[in-house]
Amino acid sequence: MDLFGNLALGLATAVQPVNLLYCLIGVVIGTAIGVLPGIGPIPTVALLLPFTFGLDPTSAFILLAGIFYGAQYGGSTTAILVNVPGETSSVVTCLDGHEMAQQGRAGPALAIAAISSFYAGTIATLVICLLSVPLSALALKFTAVEYFSLLVLGLLAAVVLAHGSVMKALAMVLLGLLLGLIGIDVSSGAARMTFGIAELGDGIDFVPVAMGLFGLAEIMANLERPPVRQVVSQKVRDLVPSVADLKAAFPAMTRGTLIGSILGVLPGGGAALPPFTAYAIEKKVSKNKAMFGHGAIEGVAAPEAANNAGAQTSFIPLLTLGIPANALMALMIGALMMHGIQPGPQIMSEQPQLVWGVIASMWVGNLMLLIINLPLVGIWVSMLKIPYRLLFPAIALLCCIGTYGIANSVFNIWLMLGCALVGYLFIKVGAEPAPLLLGLVLGPQLEENFRRAMLLSDGDVAVFVQRPISAGLLAVAALLILVLMSPTVFRKRKEALAE
Amino acid sequence: MFRPFVMIAMAAWLAIAALPATADAQSFGRAVRIVVPYAPGGSSDILARLIAPKLQEAIGQAVVVENKPGGSGNIGADAVAKAPKDGHTLLLLDVGTLALAPSLFPDLTFDPQKDLAPVGMIMFAPYVLAVSPQVPAKSIAELVAFAKANPGKLAVANSGIGGMNHVTPIRVAKALGIEWKNVPYRGGAAATRAVVAGESQVIFNGVSATLPFVKNGQLVGLAVSGPARLPAVPDVPTFDEAKLPAGDAGTWQGLMVTAGSPPELVARLDAELRKILAMPDIAGKIADLGGTVKADGPAAFKSWFADNVRTLGEVVRENGIKGE
Repeated sequence: MDLFGNLALGLATAVQPVNLLYCLIGVVIGTAIGVLPGIGPIPTVALLLPFTFGLDPTSAFILLAGIFYGAQYGGSTTAILVNVPGETSSVVTCLDGHEMAQQGRAGPALAIAAISSFYAGTIATLVICLLSVPLSALALKFTAVEYFSLLVLGLLAAVVLAHGSVMKALAMVLLGLLLGLIGIDVSSGAARMTFGIAELGDGIDFVPVAMGLFGLAEIMANLERPPVRQVVSQKVRDLVPSVADLKAAFPAMTRGTLIGSILGVLPGGGAALPPFTAYAIEKKVSKNKAMFGHGAIEGVAAPEAANNAGAQTSFIPLLTLGIPANALMALMIGALMMHGIQPGPQIMSEQPQLVWGVIASMWVGNLMLLIINLPLVGIWVSMLKIPYRLLFPAIALLCCIGTYGIANSVFNIWLMLGCALVGYLFIKVGAEPAPLLLGLVLGPQLEENFRRAMLLSDGDVAVFVQRPISAGLLAVAALLILVLMSPTVFRKRKEALAE
Repeated sequence: MFRPFVMIAMAAWLAIAALPATADAQSFGRAVRIVVPYAPGGSSDILARLIAPKLQEAIGQAVVVENKPGGSGNIGADAVAKAPKDGHTLLLLDVGTLALAPSLFPDLTFDPQKDLAPVGMIMFAPYVLAVSPQVPAKSIAELVAFAKANPGKLAVANSGIGGMNHVTPIRVAKALGIEWKNVPYRGGAAATRAVVAGESQVIFNGVSATLPFVKNGQLVGLAVSGPARLPAVPDVPTFDEAKLPAGDAGTWQGLMVTAGSPPELVARLDAELRKILAMPDIAGKIADLGGTVKADGPAAFKSWFADNVRTLGEVVRENGIKGE
């Protein structure tokens, strides 16, 4: 297969007027559901599936893919403006994005988020074209052993993430891990900490916890503050990022894109891993570490780039191996089958027009998203002028609808409200919820892969250092622990010398 | 002259009087829900979304698909079991897994045979028994020889504790006199990936998910369940031919309704379901899903279900399989 021939075929397919139209519809719907907290791409795609029956499979797939990556763009908007992560992947964007908004820099934050996403989308499209085959081979190299080591690294990143006390961050990670244990154990089928509640059988869903701890808790904390708020400037100069902003954001975007592209390919990583990891790494390598958590533009650029790149490269296992990397890709497989296309390793050679058309449409769609989102920045920012008494009930209502929609269950609404109370407590004691969320997401996978690795190796722990990829990942993790500890070591030494 | 006229008139009157009455008893007063107790994207969900628009056209009421995932499908099934007994809440699910539920989960909050009533079977999709090419076996006999020569080397990937493809390998291993590890994964796709990657070695999974890898050489097909060989892989023997138990193992999808619903409405649903399953486009989509149409009505479904609850229950007890 020659690259240029494939790309030309893809572009020719993607720019057909009908496909352009469906791409536009897809990204607009995606942006809308991304902005609405809790209403994710999965129920939306499921709902729209029957409407795509009448379409050509390529157009249908372009539409559905557009919804998915469009949602990654939209998700950052509510995260930045009102601290409600619209999607799982935009939790990290809350950290610095909302801080920027509170400093009156919502415009640059939104613009940087859109530009980072476009940049990452462009690079990720190229990555899919050039590296699909080697990357899918990498995805197959990842067995339970490698996953375990990767997840250990991911959890360490959670500690780096926090900008307050390391002890509190550790405590929050552990709390998240414990919460992640709730539910029916995949390895033995035992129900743990479910108290006979059937809804807890599949574990605690991430979305109600995230929305409760972040959005609703924030609203509660705001209610007791005096109702003065940042006057939002409407001058264009304050809406667009400065040259200095762009200069600071660019390297962060590039690193975020790289991280997202690699982690997106690995099945099971989920939407949370790429942005969390990108943020943690950015915080370590950045020159102005002190700014992180207080409105660092790199803290918006890196995770936004990572989640968009990851969203796109998560199509690689689907397109090259016929194996879905996440729940949404599983739904995409269902969509293909309903159109009479057999997903599998042969799909690239049997359906080149579909595969390359979808890949090219991703780039076209990203361009559309940039064009749609940049002018919208002004409108979104003016949303902050809506009085709290109208804005807060609206957010609370949308959160409830979105949470209900995850599994059509009222239980999740109560869970979210409970988490809102806990989140309020966390704000009072100065504990950050982000490490908890990462623990909650990664904990079950960490355990599952550890137990599976043990089951397959007959309990021989040495497998983790015998396999090269796993050993490498664990070495990086060990290094990270040393780096984490060194400042404290140095500080203590200084204190000792001062005495 | 007079009497026949009266009789005809009376018959006509009766017919007219009876017509709307039957139509009333067989018509739906409001929107109908099809509950799918799994996340969107699986076979049950696809079938529900294929059937819903056709059923909507037939009964003149909105038909809504509602995903209620969780607890191996038991949360959604429980919701239908406890819905109003008016025939407006339907359940489309993998009924083989449902037949396993009473013996696997002693605390099940409903009785699938008492609280749910069958409308009709929809589809049967056979399993393919496939192994990783790293296993030097091209037939069941070679697999058995390898397993006996290398005890503890083989691991079977299943898509979760308490599913049909968790119980089937246990039955098969027992019949063959071999031992392999049962490794649970989160869903069929993860299990397939593990065997393609060589992490586990054996899988029993649906035709549509497995055959592309068999054709591609990334998996080796050793046997298929169901009554006949598959046209796509004519050299692969059936479970029966290979002397394996569980010849009818696979995915059975069926439509159910809250027990105690009006029999007229259940009869109407049965009739409409048969009509829908006879449509060529639906049969074509079901073939794409790797299955065949099974348009068995409520009676056949009921006895199939009772048989499976009994036989699967015996397998679960004999092998000490626990759901929780």
